Amino acid sequence: MKLSVEAKSVLETSMRQNRISDDERKDVNDLISSLPDDRVLLYKNVVSNPIGDIYRYSLHIRIQHMLTFVTFLTLAFTGLPIHFFNAFWAEPMNTFLGGVEITRVIHRTIAVIMIFTMVYHILTITLGSIVRIKQGLFDIRRTMIPLMKDVRDFRDDLLYFAGKRDQRPEMDKFMYKQKIHYFAAAFGNTVMIVSGSSFLFPELWASILPESIAAHFQELMRLSHPHEALLALLVIAFWHWYNVHLAPGRFPMQWTFLTGKITREHQIEEHFHEYLRNLVELPEERELLCDMLESRELCSEPPAQSNADLVTEES
Amino acid sequence: MINKKTLYLSHRHPLQIQTAVQKRSYPHVFLTALLIGLTLLYIQDVQASFSDDEGCLICHKYPRMTRVTEDGAIRSYYVMPGVFANTVHRNVPCRDCHSYIKELPHREVKEGVQCNSECHSVKNPATGKQFSHKGIYDAYKGSVHGREKNTQGIESDKPYCITCHTNPIYDPNEAGPPKHIVDRCVLCHEDQKFVEQWYKHTSRRIRDVKRSSEEIVQLCSSCHEDKKLIDRHVKHAAENNLELGKKFKVAVESYEESFHGKLTNYGFQGTANCLDCHAKEDNYYKSVHEIRPSRDPLSPTHKDNRVETCKRCHTRADSNYAGIDPHPTALADDGVFRHYAEKIYDLISYITILGLVGLSMFETFGRRRDGVAFRLRKGTSWRRKSKRGRDRVE
Repeated sequence: MKLSVEAKSVLETSMRQNRISDDERKDVNDLISSLPDDRVLLYKNVVSNPIGDIYRYSLHIRIQHMLTFVTFLTLAFTGLPIHFFNAFWAEPMNTFLGGVEITRVIHRTIAVIMIFTMVYHILTITLGSIVRIKQGLFDIRRTMIPLMKDVRDFRDDLLYFAGKRDQRPEMDKFMYKQKIHYFAAAFGNTVMIVSGSSFLFPELWASILPESIAAHFQELMRLSHPHEALLALLVIAFWHWYNVHLAPGRFPMQWTFLTGKITREHQIEEHFHEYLRNLVELPEERELLCDMLESRELCSEPPAQSNADLVTEES
Repeated sequence: MINKKTLYLSHRHPLQIQTAVQKRSYPHVFLTALLIGLTLLYIQDVQASFSDDEGCLICHKYPRMTRVTEDGAIRSYYVMPGVFANTVHRNVPCRDCHSYIKELPHREVKEGVQCNSECHSVKNPATGKQFSHKGIYDAYKGSVHGREKNTQGIESDKPYCITCHTNPIYDPNEAGPPKHIVDRCVLCHEDQKFVEQWYKHTSRRIRDVKRSSEEIVQLCSSCHEDKKLIDRHVKHAAENNLELGKKFKVAVESYEESFHGKLTNYGFQGTANCLDCHAKEDNYYKSVHEIRPSRDPLSPTHKDNRVETCKRCHTRADSNYAGIDPHPTALADDGVFRHYAEKIYDLISYITILGLVGLSMFETFGRRRDGVAFRLRKGTSWRRKSKRGRDRVE
């Protein structure tokens, strides 16, 4: 396989950061050279375990996802009948929870857990990044930070879906969809926390804001809390659940949120750069891939020149 | 036996019944019939105790003492002695209020009862003067609601005393005075019945006898929610170059959308109802009768008084806080900022959802063409034949 400039850079960075031996470096390079040029053939032919093959999310992230999952749905379930108090379904829902006074207490209590989850997550990624930087393992391309490449990936992915491009773009550990979703959730969480606190402590917010915007702020927050909640609920229902449950190949569900592992075919298809890192970090993955290539006779011809000369622009 | 609970409620909330009567005609008939029916049952146990020295009951004791009004409604003039004897006005002879009755049988009544008239037969024990509601009536007359009893046109939309107040019946289930109190009082006052009446009169006023927040909102809404009434006043104000409150048209619906309204709707009593903001805090029972528009400097909702009004509940409120709209709407002519903010929010929401659903469908379509199946089975989800010419090696 002829790696793109970006893929080559990712691979080199990973090999350098992991301080792999020359033998291992040669193994990796040989394996990369023997991969079929058409990456589609690669992810179509690997064998995947539905509950996941390659480690992707730490236990902290999985706990945070579970907390977000529970708090989000509970907040929606308790917030909706409070806001849409006149709807025919609001009273039965409140009654089910023990009355609106109980619904309000549950809503606020769960909101505190949601805020805790957000703080827990910020601490995790901040401390994790500091540790990685200190260990010399940090790579910005492996984080959620949006890059110009994400815009290109989005464009190229649309071209692939439309049949105008042969392959999906080579995306990193977090692809453009995940970054959009992540920052939408982060923005939404912030809006919900700020607006929720403005309901609980209106006098405090009014006293710390300039007079010219204090009233407008409160109005905006009253508007934002239900709108943002509804928008988040719809995005979760229509997009997140599509991506993790309904998308072809993911049905009926991905197990990543529990096992922390992603399937091999998914990793190669949507996170190829991360898969290159996996090949560097996981010797057993190299062996497994090598066996697959041999058994299915998918090895490409050995390169006539060195890897350094193989860098070409991906079509 | 009568339904004690129903009777109790009908005694306790005559206002609610009246409000319902004003809103709907059929419930009016039903409730009236129910009330009369229950009352007829009830009075079998009630001894008629007020004396009819003026002979009014010669005619008004007959249940069919009715007439059909010009607008086709049946109006009853039947007085139930046993019920009246348990009302707050039981000691007031008829002609103290119906002072225009000069002869029997009397002619058609056009004047109606003026609530500021003096009761010739009841003296105020504090002043020795004839008892009168004149003080509270004058407060009401000075309010935005004040009007004459017999008035026509736009003024007649305003409430008169009996719009809000009926002739309340004492609660038969109300606890009487404890024996040790009666035992002490009768030593000087001798008459046990007198003692019990004074005890109830006093203790009822010591207890908080305000209407509940829901009742207050319901009472105010009976007029302020009436679209026809609102339109009449808006038109009248425009034609006569009069000023109306900014929230006059949306007072009720905007309150219901506010946090105060939602909580009141859910039965919370600690939340601000109409009177908590629109009536002065000092002497609640008087101030609720002298409500003024927010443009009046004496109104607690006047811009100069809002901070103090908010501080009644929100003790840390400042001028910034008092600037928050307690009657929020998204109408363009009410709150421009909120109106456009809501439109932008809606637009973003629609674009986001449509965009994401579109992207998902596009993605499904694109990947399915390349041979992906929905479920990952036997180690792969790329089992289908690709239309783009590269398939899994089997």
